[in-house]
Amino acid sequence: MSTTFTADSGSSRADRFRLFGQPVAVLLVLAGVLFWAFTRELDDIERRNINLTSLLDHTWQHVLLTVAVAVIVVVVAVPLGVVLTRPWARAAAPVVLAVANIGQAAPSVGLLVLFFLATSATGFWVAVLPLAFYALLPVLRNTMLGLRQVDRTLIDAGRGIGMSAVGVLGRIELPLAVPYILAGLRTSLVLAVGTATLAFFVQGGGLGVLIDTGYKLGRPAILVVGAVLAAALALLVDWLGGLAEQLLGPRGLR
Amino acid sequence: MSFWDYVGSRWAQLLTDAYLHASAVVQCVLLATAIGVLLGIAVYRSPVGSTVATALTSAILTIPSFALLGLLIPLLGLGVRPTVTALVLYGLLPIVRNTIVGLAGVDRAVTDAARGIGMSRLGVLGRIELRLAWPAILAGMRVSTQMLMGIAAIAAYAKGPGLGNVIFSGLSRVGSANAVNMALAGTVGVVVLALVLDGIYVLIGRLTTSRGIRG
Repeated sequence: MSTTFTADSGSSRADRFRLFGQPVAVLLVLAGVLFWAFTRELDDIERRNINLTSLLDHTWQHVLLTVAVAVIVVVVAVPLGVVLTRPWARAAAPVVLAVANIGQAAPSVGLLVLFFLATSATGFWVAVLPLAFYALLPVLRNTMLGLRQVDRTLIDAGRGIGMSAVGVLGRIELPLAVPYILAGLRTSLVLAVGTATLAFFVQGGGLGVLIDTGYKLGRPAILVVGAVLAAALALLVDWLGGLAEQLLGPRGLR
Repeated sequence: MSFWDYVGSRWAQLLTDAYLHASAVVQCVLLATAIGVLLGIAVYRSPVGSTVATALTSAILTIPSFALLGLLIPLLGLGVRPTVTALVLYGLLPIVRNTIVGLAGVDRAVTDAARGIGMSRLGVLGRIELRLAWPAILAGMRVSTQMLMGIAAIAAYAKGPGLGNVIFSGLSRVGSANAVNMALAGTVGVVVLALVLDGIYVLIGRLTTSRGIRG
């Protein structure tokens, strides 16, 4: 099964269009919704949720969840990808990819709930770990793809001028794979922001709390503010990822 | 109660939920395909149109599904309507993108030849271009289906149908004997459905690809 989630548009022109259009549209909508929320008559419950401290708190929790997931993904997936492309471990690659693929076919909310029920713990890390597992595949697959597309002759040349295998990996293979890894990381980050809205199911915080509060207490305003903040955050993270792809690739490939 | 005992005793209910889950996803993919292919046909000849359509649909896909679902609740209420709307919106990108790529990838020489032997513009589209683009469109449907399987589970929060309800029942019965069994049955059920549907797509691909371009 090679079909998995990707927000990759497959068109460089559309990517450029989004690079300029997306942040402008996001900021406009966000400003509009916040203006609407803060200028209308709020009742007690709404005031307790729609105020600067509460909104910043939940957004900050959401960012922390996302960052924690992204850090775990990079720390696990990049070395794993490196190992699985070494000649001595190549046999294990299809097995690991199959497991990761099935992991991603599982619903994120199911993994989250299962992990919570299995550990019977709640909080930040109970949300982060299953979400990191869920967001692992794009970076893993792209690391492997990026390392495999490196021209054999470059590796041989590196070895020929006396570089060690580790030197070739660190100074030739990985730098050339960076654009692929960044593309995978962008997808993983978007997945992380999206699934972090589910963290509230296991008391992990984040903007999902506002959506749930608004829904459960029949206060659509709270729901809308939380949902729009989450959407804006996802679009901004995606935009930053696009920017990183443009700016952080190796200079020779730009 | 062991997991298998649980599955055995609730078999009928699980089967119903699985059927509802698959049926919702398949219907929404078909709806997304109808809209996506029409959208693709409308824009594939214009670079600006293709750019805007691709950028918009990929921006929609970036929005967290739980947030979009939440936004739809005040607008559309609970149940089928927000579920279908969210699933169709998320299913669009892969299909629109692949339709545009597939149609744009058709060799100009082939369409020129078809025009040359006197086929109408619509005839060329229906009998040449869409048939050649079909494997790409089908691949888009396959990606959409995989994605919607997971999103449909979240839609149970808005009282949507399917296996998500089993997962959420597990969550709300935390501490009881069957909580883990329920969450596990719901999660594994979605994975199994996803794998089965993926296999069906491979089969459909084999059967419906034009003989001339079959690998």
